[in-house]
Amino acid sequence: MAMRALFAEESARRPSPEVSREPRLSGRASATRWSELFTRGFVVTCGGIVILATATMIAFLGQTGIRGLSEIGLWPLLSGAKWKPEANSFGGLALLTGTVLSAAGAVLLGAIPAVLASAWLAELSPRSIRSSFRRVMEIAAAVPSVVYGWLALVYLVPLTERLAHGIYGEDAPVGGEGLAASALLLGAMIIPTVMLLALDALARVPAELRDASAALGASELQTAFRVALPGAWRGILIAVFFGLARAAGETMAVQMVIGGARKLPDNLFSPTTTISTQIVMDMQNARPGTLASNALYSMALVLLVVSVMIVLATRLLSRRTAS
Amino acid sequence: VTLHATASRAPLRRTERRGHRVETALARSLAALAAILAGGYLAGLAYLLLRGSSKLFAFSINPVPRTGVEGEEIVRTLIATMAFGLSAWAITTLAQAVLRRISRSEKTPRLATWKKIAISILVIVLGITLCDYVPSFLVTLPSETTAGGGIGPEIFNTLYFAILSTAITLPIGVGAAVYMARFAMSPTMMGALRTALDTLASLPSIVYGLFGFLVFVVQMQAGYSLFAGALVLALLNLPLVVGISEESLRAVPRELEDASLALGATRVQTTLRVTLPYAWPGILSALVLSVGRVFAESAPLIMTAGTTISRTNAFSLNPFRGGETLAVHLWYVNSSGLSPDKADVSAGTAAVLIVLIFLTNLAASRLARFGGATGNRLKKATR
Repeated sequence: MAMRALFAEESARRPSPEVSREPRLSGRASATRWSELFTRGFVVTCGGIVILATATMIAFLGQTGIRGLSEIGLWPLLSGAKWKPEANSFGGLALLTGTVLSAAGAVLLGAIPAVLASAWLAELSPRSIRSSFRRVMEIAAAVPSVVYGWLALVYLVPLTERLAHGIYGEDAPVGGEGLAASALLLGAMIIPTVMLLALDALARVPAELRDASAALGASELQTAFRVALPGAWRGILIAVFFGLARAAGETMAVQMVIGGARKLPDNLFSPTTTISTQIVMDMQNARPGTLASNALYSMALVLLVVSVMIVLATRLLSRRTAS
Repeated sequence: VTLHATASRAPLRRTERRGHRVETALARSLAALAAILAGGYLAGLAYLLLRGSSKLFAFSINPVPRTGVEGEEIVRTLIATMAFGLSAWAITTLAQAVLRRISRSEKTPRLATWKKIAISILVIVLGITLCDYVPSFLVTLPSETTAGGGIGPEIFNTLYFAILSTAITLPIGVGAAVYMARFAMSPTMMGALRTALDTLASLPSIVYGLFGFLVFVVQMQAGYSLFAGALVLALLNLPLVVGISEESLRAVPRELEDASLALGATRVQTTLRVTLPYAWPGILSALVLSVGRVFAESAPLIMTAGTTISRTNAFSLNPFRGGETLAVHLWYVNSSGLSPDKADVSAGTAAVLIVLIFLTNLAASRLARFGGATGNRLKKATR
């Protein structure tokens, strides 16, 4: 109450708009103009800082990456099979294969169940459970990736090891760490993200379409799969792309389960590596400015170009949805 | 008569529809799939909390011995106060839920303000007096080779990172959002800004780490430092904060701004006194979400803030020292830790992380309820 009285007093003291036009208050008016200029300047500066920071980032990464590329060459970097910084041999085929295969596996294993489950939740489930289901997925999406990585290291890797020995026999040179473990782990990590985005996309399908479908005699399941899902396909595709981008860029969790061997995998259960894993492992030994360090920046540039392309594709899709 | 009866009855029965059984089976299997997914994640979260609780609730009658690191007492008081506050909040929420069940009333019983103040004072007093009696895992230094290491400096660093990076993200992010929502005059700059934010949002976090290492650690010769890590995290969070802030600024009803302009206020005055206060809950929830990302991020921090804890200045406020966060610690313990109890240490660290993430998510959704496009305030104003 005291607070409100104080404000009332202040507003009573404040001159009315008519008075403020009088010349004797010009000091106040100019103060207003200054604060006006300052605020406008501030927000423009903030916008400028964002642009400048991004440009600096791209410029620095691009410069260092291209320095590495010019020494190694794009084709040897992408197609060479031997990655040995100590022998000055930088062939990133194993890194690329690891990244592409584990991300693709994650999308196969994670995105399909996620989309099906979100279709059920948005169209067929009892309404009372929807918000709590969403809350669980929101928290699961925010769980740090190292926590997923640790859980996978402790519980998933022994499972895949048993699976590998079941397939290839007891004495086969296979283990739990490898592409299978990382694809399973990444699949589990992208499910919450894909589900949340797919649920948003399904919620944007107009209710009239569902009503029309029901009026034609379609059941709930038919409406879900012939009206709602096709109506939201663009949004669902965007959700899957986001999952793909997250899986391709994931570092620490994959590093914990993929084994870290710098070679092409023999099968799904032999250790290999990915671009981001190799960056985080090698940066600890590579002196900045050397070829070993620049090569890592070149690989990061490849990763950057790929993920920017994925996001540009989703942007194009979502812009068309908006119009 | 019989013909009429069959004709009117047959199509109305749902269960006699062709393929009804297949449909029911399909719907059930979809439900089972969703239940398995949700159940799996719930079980995982519950397991993490339970597995870590042996470390988190390891109370003992003997005080935890001090190691004499500078600032240790203050950090212990802080962590103890937070632990007691969290328990007090959990107990009151639980009690309220139980009371509501018993009395079967629709409205949640609210605590009177003086009771809230009394509880807060009690929590602070408990935190100060019992700061040496919290579980030792939460306050002691980590140990490289022997069992019994704690995560005190990691908790401190994680919270300090949240403050440092928010201090950078808040002005720049909100300023850029205000520019985009209300003061954008040049389409060129607007286009550049959107492209910049899209690019930032699309980069994998490891790329931020490489950039931070190159610019802050090497070129600016800051070394592995909290300063470099906080700058990288601030940059990483910009697209999120600008995006949500812009959305909630745009959701402010035009009528309110028009009313302010009609009273003779300038555009800047309207923005500062009407638009921003109105969109504030949405902006705050964006900031809280960005804090959640600070808690969770590890790859860029490994490359900018290092993986070590210094014995001498573990609790110092100097931003030019290195230091690991909880997430980095969890990775470090598992990849190169040598202590025999690393499974327990990892479990405890993961549990603390989950609690922090849970709290930030809760705070963000509470805040978002007041503002933004679907908030209560908007509904009230446009009723």
